[in-house]
Amino acid sequence: MDLLNTFLIGVTAGTIYGLMAISMVLVWRSTRVVNFAQAGMALLSTYFGYEAVTRLGSFWIALPVAMIGGALVAALVEMILIRLLVKHSTSGPIAGVAPIIATLGLLGVIRSVSAMIWGGQDVRIVGPVSNDGFTINGTTLVFSPLKLLILVTVLVLMLILSIVFQKTNIGLALRASAHAPEIARLSGVKVDWVRTLGWALSGAAGAVAGMFQTVNGNGTLSPDSIEFSLLLVSGFIAAVIGGLDSMIGAVIGGLVLGLMISFVLMYVSSGLFFIAPFVILLTVLFIRPQGLFGAKAARRA
Amino acid sequence: MHKKQSRDIFLFILGGVVLYFLSGMVDELRVYQGATIAVYVIAISSIILLTGYSGQVSLGHGALMAVGAYAAAVARVEFSLPIVLCFVVAVLAAAIGGALLGAAAARLSGPYLAGTTLALAIGLPSLANQFSVLGGEQGLLFDVGFPPLSLGEDFTQYKWFFWIAGLAALLSMWAIKNILGSRYGRTWRAIRGNEVAAQLSGINIARSKILAFTISAGIAGLAGALLSMTIGTVSPSAFPLALSFSLLTGAVLSGLTTLGGAMIGSVVLVAIPEIADVVAHRLGSSERVTTNLPGFLVSALLILTVLFVPNGPVEQHRARKAKHLAQKK
Repeated sequence: MDLLNTFLIGVTAGTIYGLMAISMVLVWRSTRVVNFAQAGMALLSTYFGYEAVTRLGSFWIALPVAMIGGALVAALVEMILIRLLVKHSTSGPIAGVAPIIATLGLLGVIRSVSAMIWGGQDVRIVGPVSNDGFTINGTTLVFSPLKLLILVTVLVLMLILSIVFQKTNIGLALRASAHAPEIARLSGVKVDWVRTLGWALSGAAGAVAGMFQTVNGNGTLSPDSIEFSLLLVSGFIAAVIGGLDSMIGAVIGGLVLGLMISFVLMYVSSGLFFIAPFVILLTVLFIRPQGLFGAKAARRA
Repeated sequence: MHKKQSRDIFLFILGGVVLYFLSGMVDELRVYQGATIAVYVIAISSIILLTGYSGQVSLGHGALMAVGAYAAAVARVEFSLPIVLCFVVAVLAAAIGGALLGAAAARLSGPYLAGTTLALAIGLPSLANQFSVLGGEQGLLFDVGFPPLSLGEDFTQYKWFFWIAGLAALLSMWAIKNILGSRYGRTWRAIRGNEVAAQLSGINIARSKILAFTISAGIAGLAGALLSMTIGTVSPSAFPLALSFSLLTGAVLSGLTTLGGAMIGSVVLVAIPEIADVVAHRLGSSERVTTNLPGFLVSALLILTVLFVPNGPVEQHRARKAKHLAQKK
């Protein structure tokens, strides 16, 4: 029974990490920036969701509110910060690290602003269904209706996203501008707007990850909570394990990470909570420095 | 060359003398802040060496500082080594950690490296809870002892901290400056400029990168030990992710390639909480705003610097002057 519990907890956490990783991959594909502020943006959107829950009382209204809020924030960030960044910091020793530093700064700004507005009070989001485990033959599982719901919702979202990417014109434009911006521009794709769209999609995905991470945890929301540090690191690690460029890679990276953490905590030691992701990441990168699904970078001369 | 070197030595000694007199004139709080600034100068210059010169990003220097701090504290508590040796132990332990991390880092680039070191910054300090010798959440005491009596009756503890940290800062700046001016410094710059070209001219890329990481980590370890000296204890909570971020912020504010600018970044990092405090009081804002204003200011400053003064104030000024001169001709 322990084995099944550990597995199901790992899968649920893993899908949330996978969703976070997808949002990082979307940004990476559209602008070649690893957005370290992604978890911060997810935090902010989750606060939007919280405001909606308290005013309107329904989780299912709050979720789209958080997604739209997250998409708007992400789009604004792309239009203001990232475009300026591309214009200004392209030469000198800073060039390689400028996006990393700028998004870290953004993370700090979002965190402190959220803490100024919502910090220091008990902010709580109650999930739409119970988080008490299912009972089978008298034994209670840790797996709950809420976890099942999260699993299903995330899978549906991933499905929608992959259909958008594979079957629609927008998806084609997104893939084209990521792959060859110049050629895409020549073929009439408005690359700048497509980039903004990529960010907006990523913001919405991050918002869902933030909302579910909150209700899947103890329901409380705080800029300094462990849940969000974990979301920051896990989303990134899952994306890197998957190769940063691949959506399927991100999902599998998330699942691998969620399961590994869950099993390490259960069978090795619960004190390894924060160091386990690091060890997993190093192991993967030692075997494949470009991630599981990443293409090997060509040498630039 | 020789003349320049003796001028530099003179400047360093002069700096030491100025600091000596300054520490006698200001009050206790300022002396304490001075010690903190000195610690930051060391930590930031370790980032400048790593990121500005060898082109590798580290978000995990807070963790390396923790390694140094714990090593020094264990050396002090368990083996009661003399204090100077504790600092040496701190440097060595962190350098070993840095060499291991560097071996991994040499295979990674850009965002991959940043993420790996980020995971380390979050993971490593919490590992201290796993070993009872490291004192768990409470941590270890790290006591460098009272200042020697020969310095006089009214020589305070903070002043003693300031002296130790200041001396360490001067010495490590001196060492880093020489390393950067040496063959290794030039090698790193070549790698940062163009890895393939550097490789073609016979540079062993992996080895140079690992060396940069090792040296940088050793310096960070020293800074960590000094930081815990000023706090008096070593515990996981003294090395949060925010520390690693603020070091990077400090390095960017200083200018990633201007070692002498490390002072700018450190002063800003120490001054911002004070400024934020004044501003918040002036505005009469709530406690929520007051506690988060420093973080906001630091982050906002970081973004503005990256956007508008990407290579640091000193470098920017130099570039402007060069442009001006070129126009005159």
